[in-house]
Amino acid sequence: MAAIAHDTHEDHGALHHQFENIEQQNDSYIVGMWTFLVTEVMFFGALFLIYTLYRSMYQMDWYLAHEELDVKLGAFNTIVLLISSFTVAVAVRSAQRKERGLVLANIGITIACAFIFLVVKAFEYSAKFEHHLYPGPTFGSVPEHLNGANANYAQLFYGLYFGMTGLHALHIIVGIIVLSALFNLWWRKCDSVMKDYIPTELVGLYWHFVDLVWIFLFPLMYLMPKPH
Amino acid sequence: MATTPLSANSHGDHASHELPFGTLVGILLLLMVLMGLTIGASYVTLPSVGPIPGIVINNLVAVGIATIKAALVIWFFMGVKFASALARIWVIAGFLVLFLMFGILGDYGTRKFEQVNGWETNVPHNGGETALPRVWPPEGKPSSTPEVEQGFRPR
Amino acid sequence: MSAIPVDPTSAGNGVISQPTPAASETNYINEFGGLKSWLLTGDHKRIAILYLISVTFFFFLGSLAAAMIRWELTAPAGVVLESDTYNKVFSSHGVIMVFTFLVVAIPSVFGNFFLPIMIGARDMAFPRLNLLSWYLYMAGGILILAGMINGGVDGGWTFYTPYSSMYSNSNVTLVLTGVFIIGFSSITTGINFIVTTHKMRAPGMTWFRLPLFVWAHYATAVVIILGTPVVAITLLLVVFERAFKLPIFNPELGGDPVLFQHLFWFYSHPAVYIMILPAFGIISELIANFARKRVFGYHFIAFSTLAIAGLGFLVWGHHMFISSQSMYQGIVFSLISFLVAVPSAIKVFNWTATLYKANIRLQSPMLYALGFIGLFTVGGLTGLFLGSMGTDVHLTATYFVVAHFHYVMVGGTMTAFLGGLHYWWPKMTGRLYAEGIAKANAIIVFLGFNLTFFPQFIVGWLGMPRRYHYYYLAPEYQVYNIMSTLGSGFLGIGFLLPAFYLSKSLVSGRKASANPWGAHGLEWEIPSPPPSTNFLQIPIVLDEVYDFDPVTEYEQDRAQQAIENSHEHPGMMDSHDETASKLEEGGH
Ligand SMILES: [Cu+2]
Repeated sequence: MAAIAHDTHEDHGALHHQFENIEQQNDSYIVGMWTFLVTEVMFFGALFLIYTLYRSMYQMDWYLAHEELDVKLGAFNTIVLLISSFTVAVAVRSAQRKERGLVLANIGITIACAFIFLVVKAFEYSAKFEHHLYPGPTFGSVPEHLNGANANYAQLFYGLYFGMTGLHALHIIVGIIVLSALFNLWWRKCDSVMKDYIPTELVGLYWHFVDLVWIFLFPLMYLMPKPH
Repeated sequence: MATTPLSANSHGDHASHELPFGTLVGILLLLMVLMGLTIGASYVTLPSVGPIPGIVINNLVAVGIATIKAALVIWFFMGVKFASALARIWVIAGFLVLFLMFGILGDYGTRKFEQVNGWETNVPHNGGETALPRVWPPEGKPSSTPEVEQGFRPR
Repeated sequence: MSAIPVDPTSAGNGVISQPTPAASETNYINEFGGLKSWLLTGDHKRIAILYLISVTFFFFLGSLAAAMIRWELTAPAGVVLESDTYNKVFSSHGVIMVFTFLVVAIPSVFGNFFLPIMIGARDMAFPRLNLLSWYLYMAGGILILAGMINGGVDGGWTFYTPYSSMYSNSNVTLVLTGVFIIGFSSITTGINFIVTTHKMRAPGMTWFRLPLFVWAHYATAVVIILGTPVVAITLLLVVFERAFKLPIFNPELGGDPVLFQHLFWFYSHPAVYIMILPAFGIISELIANFARKRVFGYHFIAFSTLAIAGLGFLVWGHHMFISSQSMYQGIVFSLISFLVAVPSAIKVFNWTATLYKANIRLQSPMLYALGFIGLFTVGGLTGLFLGSMGTDVHLTATYFVVAHFHYVMVGGTMTAFLGGLHYWWPKMTGRLYAEGIAKANAIIVFLGFNLTFFPQFIVGWLGMPRRYHYYYLAPEYQVYNIMSTLGSGFLGIGFLLPAFYLSKSLVSGRKASANPWGAHGLEWEIPSPPPSTNFLQIPIVLDEVYDFDPVTEYEQDRAQQAIENSHEHPGMMDSHDETASKLEEGGH
C-alpha cells in the first residue's frame, strides 16, 4: 500500500493521494458508507420479506410459538441498544468538537452495551436450546414449550428467529471489533481520528444501522398481537 | 448535479453540523417512550376498521411505530438531516427498492383468485388430483415412442 | 518510438493538455517491480490487469465444460458422459460462466481500468476496497473450483430449492459460499463505481459530458448495490438450510420453494443487466469512435441505461411463468417485460442512426461492435417470445431459452468484451497487435457464434429440452446439434486466437502511441500505457463528449487511406499508427 499512500498535498494528515482535498474525501467516505448501508438494508430486507410471508401464512402457530420468547429480556436488550445508539451519536458529536475524553467514554459505553446485549442474547439462545426449540430433527421434542403450535410451522418460526437474530448478532460482533479499533485509535491519539471526525462518523453510521435492524426485529419477534 | 466535484465540495463545512446535546437526549427519551408504546399496543386487541381486521390494525400499529423509531434514528442520530442530497437519495432509493421487493407478496395474494388444484400453498393435498395429467401417454394420443433397440439404456 | 510525447493537438481538442512527461518510460506497469507490488497494489489499472488474467482463466475453464457439453450432444444417446457427470458438467459451465465471468468481466476489467481515467481521476475513490474486491473474487472463485474438483454440483447454476437444499450433494454448500463471497466482491466494486462517478469527476466533467461507458457502469453499479445483497442472503439461507437445518425453503415444514425462485430472480434478472449494461457502454464507445461522430441521441442512450436499470427490478417473474406463480402476477410481469424492450430498442436504433452517413472505419473493434448490434437484436427480440406467457409455456426449459440467453450473453457481453479488449489493448499494454488477424477473428467469432446458437432456436422450438444429454426419442434433433457443435468449434478458435496474437503483441508488437485510433476521450490524452497516477495534473474538461469535427475527420480519413493504400502492409495497424500522428498534426 506504500505505493499509493504517499501524501503530496497539504497538511491534512489523512488525505489520500486520489483526492484533491479533504472535503472531497470526506464526502466520498460518507456516500460510500451510505451505499454500503443500502446493501445492508436489502440484505436484511429480504429476510423481513420472508418473515412477512410466512407469518401471514401461519399466524396462529407463530403467535403460539413466539410466546416462548421472553419479552422482558427483549425489551431490556432494546433499551441497551437504544442507549448505545445514543452514546455513539454523542461520541460523533464529541469527535466533531475534538473532545477526546468524551469520545473515549462514549465509545467505551457503547462497547459495554454491545457486550451486555450479546450476553443477554446468549442466555436467551441457551434457554431455547435447552427446550429443543432449535431447528433440526429434535425440534419440539419437549412439546410443552410449543404451546400447542404446529411443530413444523413453529420450526419455521424458530428458523427465522435464529437466522435473523443470529445475523444481527454477527453484525453486533463486527461492530464491537470496529468500535474497539476506533477506541484504540482515539486512545493512541492518532491523527487519522483526531484531526478528522469522519472515521468516527462512519463507525457511528454502521452502529446506528445495527440498532435500526433491532428496532424492527423486537416488535416482529417478541410482540406479536394475538390473532383475533 | 452538473457541478464539478471541486466546486461542489468547496463549501462542505461539516463542523457546523453538530446536534445540540439536549436534542440527542430528547430523541433517546422519545425512542424509549415509543418502545413502551409498542409493547403496550401488542397486548391490546384493537378493533377492526371497516373491512380491515383488527389483527391487521395491530400489526400496522407495531410496524408504524417501528418505522417512526427508525426514521428518528436515521434523521437525527445518523445525521441525514445534515447529509448531502446524494446521501438522502440513496436512503430513499434503498427503501424504495426494498418496497418493490415486497411485490413478491403480490404473487401469494393473487394465487387465490383462480383456484387451480395444486397451486395453493398450505392446503393439504386433495386426493392427488392436480392440474397435470397423471396418465401417460395422455388419453387419445398414441404413444409415439420410436423403436429403441432392446436393452438400450442411456448412459 | 519508445518515448512518446503526449501530442497536445491529438483528437481531444479543447482539453487542457497534460504537461509532457519528462520520462514517459515510467508507467503503471514498470514503475514498481516484483510480484508483491502487484498483489498489494492500490492502482485501479493494476487491479484491472489482475482481473483480466483471472477472468480469462475462469472463462477458459467454463469453455472447457461447454466443449464437453457440445461433444456429448452430437449423438442422440450421448457420446462420453454419464448422466450424473453431464449434470455436473453443465452446472459447472453455468456457475463458472455466470458468476466468475459474465457478472465480473467487463466492470472489473474495463470499468476498473477506464472509469477513473475517463472522468479524469487519479484513481478509484477507495483503492484498498478495490483490491479487496479482487481478493474476494479470487477467494470465491477458488471455493467454487474446490467444489467442482471435490465432485461438482448438479443442480444447474440457479440452485433451485428443494433440490439444492434437500437432495443435492454437499458440494453445493462450498459452491454457494463461493458465490456468496463473489457477491461481496461485486458489491465493493459497485460502491467504488458509484462514489467515484459522483465525487471524483474532474473540473468541467459534467454529467452530460460523461462518456456513455461511464453512464453504463454507473447504472450497473446501482443494480449491483440493490440486487446483489438479496441473492447473497438467499443463497446464504440455502447454505444455512444445508448446514444448520434452518428450514426456510423446506416444503416439508411449510416453507415455500417458490419463494427461493422469487428472491433468486429478483437479483438474477437485474443481473442480466449487470452483464449487458457494461457491454452497451463499450459498444457506445466503439460506435462513436469508429463512426467518428457523436452518438446519435446521447441523452436518450444515457437515460435509457438508467431506465433499463430501473425496469430491470420489476420483471423477475417472467422466469417463473410455469412455477406455480399466480397467473395474475404473471400477466403484470409479462407486460413490464415488454416495456424493457423499449429502452433496449432505443439504444439499438440510436447506434444504427449514428452509423448513418458516418465516416466509418472498419477496424477490428468496430467489427465486434457491428456484430454485437446484430446478435443483441436477435437475442433481445427472441426474449419477447419468452416474455409472453402463452409462448413461454411451450418454450420454457427448451433450447430456445438456451439460444436466447446465449445470444444476449455471448453474442452481447462476450462480443463486447472482445471488442473492448481489442479497442483498449494498445492503451492497457502499450503494444499494437496484428490488425489483419484481429479482423479475421472478429468474423470467425460472428460466424461461429451464429452457427452454434441459431440451430438451437430451431431445435428448441421443436421441443428439445435443455439439461438433457440424450434425445434418442427424437433423433431428428441430431442435425441441429451437430451444426451447433461444429459452430462451437469455430467459436472456440475465435476465443483462443486472441489469446495467442494478443500475447504475442506483448513480446513483439509495435509500441502504441497515445492515441492509435484517433479516438476521443480522456483515456487517449495520456500515454500508453498510462502513468501510475493517470494524470500528472488533473485535467480541466472544456469540450463536449465525442466531439468529432466531421470535416477534418473526413479529410484525415481520406489522406490516411491514401497513405495506407501505398503502404506495403496495408492490413497492419502499426502502419496506421505512424501515419495517424502525422495526420493529426496536419489536421489542425
Ligand atoms: Cu429475466
